[in-house]
Amino acid sequence: MVAMPSAIIPSMKKLIAVVEDEPALRENYAAALARHGYSVKTYANRKTAMQAFQNHLPDLAIIDISLEDEAEGGFDLCRDLRAMSAELPIIFLTARDSELDAVSGLRLGADDFLTKDVSLPHLAARVAALFRRIDALRRPDNAAEIVRRGALSIDGEKMQTTWDGKPVTLSLTEFWIVHALARNPGHVKNRQQLMDAANVVLDDNTITSHIKRMRRKFQQIDPKFDAIQTVYGMGYRWVE
Amino acid sequence: MSIRLQLLIVALTTLVLPWAGCQYARELETALRDSQESALLASAGTIANALSAQPQLVFRDPDDTAPFAAARGDWYVFALSSQPLLDGYRDDWGIAAAPLPLPAASGYSARAQVASADRYLYLYVEVDDTHFDPEPSNAHPERDRFDRIDLTLQHPDGTREFYFFATGAPGMIAAQSIVNGGDGQDRAVEEPRIQAFWLQTAAGYHLEARIPASFVGSRLWIEAFDGSGNGKIGLDAVAAPDGGRLFSMTPGLNSLLGTFIRAGTRATVVDINALKLGTAGNFVADGAAASEQGESWYRHLISVDTSSFPLQSFAPDRLEGNSVRAALAGQPHAEWVRGAANQELLLTAAAPMVIGGTTRGAVFLEQAGDQLLELRDRAVSHLFNLTLLATGAAFIVMFGFATWLSLRIARLRDAADSAVSSDGKIRLDMPESASADEIGALARGFERLLARLNEHTQYLRTLGGKLSHELRTPLTIVRSSLDNLESEGLRDEQRHFVTRARDGTQRLQSILSALGAAARVEESIKQAEFVNFDLCELLRAAIAGYRDGFPHSNFALETPADPCFIRGAPDLVAQLLDKLVENAVDFCPPAGTITVRLDRAQGNYLLAVSNDGPPIPPALHGRLFESLFEQRQGRDDKPHFGLGLYIVRLVAEFHGGSAVADNRADGGGALFTITLPLI
Repeated sequence: MVAMPSAIIPSMKKLIAVVEDEPALRENYAAALARHGYSVKTYANRKTAMQAFQNHLPDLAIIDISLEDEAEGGFDLCRDLRAMSAELPIIFLTARDSELDAVSGLRLGADDFLTKDVSLPHLAARVAALFRRIDALRRPDNAAEIVRRGALSIDGEKMQTTWDGKPVTLSLTEFWIVHALARNPGHVKNRQQLMDAANVVLDDNTITSHIKRMRRKFQQIDPKFDAIQTVYGMGYRWVE
Repeated sequence: MSIRLQLLIVALTTLVLPWAGCQYARELETALRDSQESALLASAGTIANALSAQPQLVFRDPDDTAPFAAARGDWYVFALSSQPLLDGYRDDWGIAAAPLPLPAASGYSARAQVASADRYLYLYVEVDDTHFDPEPSNAHPERDRFDRIDLTLQHPDGTREFYFFATGAPGMIAAQSIVNGGDGQDRAVEEPRIQAFWLQTAAGYHLEARIPASFVGSRLWIEAFDGSGNGKIGLDAVAAPDGGRLFSMTPGLNSLLGTFIRAGTRATVVDINALKLGTAGNFVADGAAASEQGESWYRHLISVDTSSFPLQSFAPDRLEGNSVRAALAGQPHAEWVRGAANQELLLTAAAPMVIGGTTRGAVFLEQAGDQLLELRDRAVSHLFNLTLLATGAAFIVMFGFATWLSLRIARLRDAADSAVSSDGKIRLDMPESASADEIGALARGFERLLARLNEHTQYLRTLGGKLSHELRTPLTIVRSSLDNLESEGLRDEQRHFVTRARDGTQRLQSILSALGAAARVEESIKQAEFVNFDLCELLRAAIAGYRDGFPHSNFALETPADPCFIRGAPDLVAQLLDKLVENAVDFCPPAGTITVRLDRAQGNYLLAVSNDGPPIPPALHGRLFESLFEQRQGRDDKPHFGLGLYIVRLVAEFHGGSAVADNRADGGGALFTITLPLI
């Protein structure tokens, strides 16, 4: 189980950009993140955010999908941001479950996505985890946290997953779901357990679609992949 | 009452046509009758005027205006159609009238009748005298006493001659007259030209005599004497010099009258005493038989009531009735009467003959009313048949139209009844909406209503999703604010309130989640992928899961032994099962069992989930699967929006199946059956 530090104190204050058109939410997120030791800049729309980003890139961006009068302004912003920096971690905040599908494909290059139901501590944890992954990627390999299950290999430190040695691009949420399943093969994890593991509040349907997408991602590498098995009425399990 | 029946009742009003026909026929009959009356009256007037101009052709003695007086011995001479036999009986005279008593009776009674045939005058006397006193030989009426009848004739030249009838033995006799013999003695001699028959009867005797017409002028006197007493009756020329007149049909008048009248009419001319002077024609139309034949069943519906018409009175020598009386009083008059014989309808009209300023007689015409009736019947039967035909046609047309109308309305009603199907779907098109009439307008009204209902239903259906989405942001603000508040380092007593607020938001969260569930299912249905999978296996795994998830409920699973492959989305089917089982758990009593059963039947799988809970009220069977339909009274704290079974229906229909709610055959609880097609 990956430890979930409620906060980490970075050597230098990381800059987080929050792009959210709802002022109250924006300030709440900013306050919480500031409390966790980040410096936070907030933007209400794509235009002001883009102007700021062109001057100075943040260390992490939290972007709402619908921005003021642009229903999918967040997507455009993400694409532009990704064009400016390939490594910058991006977290999407969605109000609608339906948006999850569009975002979670990660075709836009987002690293994670959360519904707005997420609690602030969860959000902070998610942010911390992302920073940790980046830090881990910069450090030399540390095998201690690596879980291997057949063709699967999970690096808990770098939060990276490979299948047959090929990397699988999973979002953070998906990573933790796979992690929770693969740590105890054969054990059925119900949806609540998976949600707890991923530190998200999702409904059953969303878990189902996450699982479906994860299978698809593995199947892109190995068409015969069927290690994630559905146990109807109960949940899912990892089969070796 | 159905429209068809109502319209048929309305169609009854077309019966007014035959009724109007009857009324018309009656009016027609009245009008025809009136015109016939006036025509006949005109004819009568014309004939009367024509005859008034030639009184010598009408009256034997145009100057004699004194009225008929039987008391003075006046006699009416009946016209006989043929010569009778001289036998003492007048049966062969064929006259309906009885003989009249002789005037001036004195202890004796006798009746007489006078008639004429060809060139003879006939005299008939019947005397009530039970004792026959025969005439002795060489008798003389003034000297001897015997039963005797005296006859005084006034010859055409004005001279008078005395005769008497008597006999020693009844039988054929001749009249006797008194002649002055050469010896100065009066003697009775027979006049052989005046023949008579003396018939002795139980009541007296009859005398039937035949007198040549050439002997008879305008008067005669009759007297009867009893031979054995002083009985006497009748008048002689001395006692009544003005009496003894003979009233008879005027010779030649019949043929004269015949030139005036048309067929079917009888004309009679009477003098001031209403005695017949001449008659011609015959009104007995051949219509009697025809009208018998043409008697139609509806005649009694339309004919004018004739029972109040007076009966025609009939006498052989004189005319009676209102018309004749009025005419003799100087007024032309027409009247409908019923014939004495067989009640046939007759029209009578009489016009006065005025000669020299005084009414001297009348012309009386009779005509059968049957012709009229026939005329009317022909017109009316035509009319009647036509109106009946029209009424029948109207009935048929009405019936057809009503049937068509009620068919259209029934179609509309059926469509309206089934517009909202049991699964809550709304059919928007109505039959008849293309019609231009009111039914079309009604159908279009229905369509508009249904369209609005559909919008409303759609709105309600998406309301959950919309609410869940719209409320999510403010809820998130509240929650994130609470998160921040908590992180600010609260005092313990403050923390209580934050915890409570958090509990509240948690509940709000689950409510929103439930509200949005249906919308999310619809969303995931759009993206679902079909695979072939074993339904039995899914059921077994699921039930195992439910046993863990609901440790207080008992589950029973019955499936076929072999795999049951279906094509579908296993996640959605599992979700369907989740909802059914959750529902069953909610309603199942603590010790009850939830039975899940899978069967194959007629190309389908039947997935039945039943529980021991209370049965479903029949009124709810169809509605349970509607969106936002919720009947249960909060048995737990969980929010219920009536979306669970709606999701069941969505998933079942997505798989080409259906969902039905019912009660178990044993009445023990609710039974939900899902039909899913075999591969």
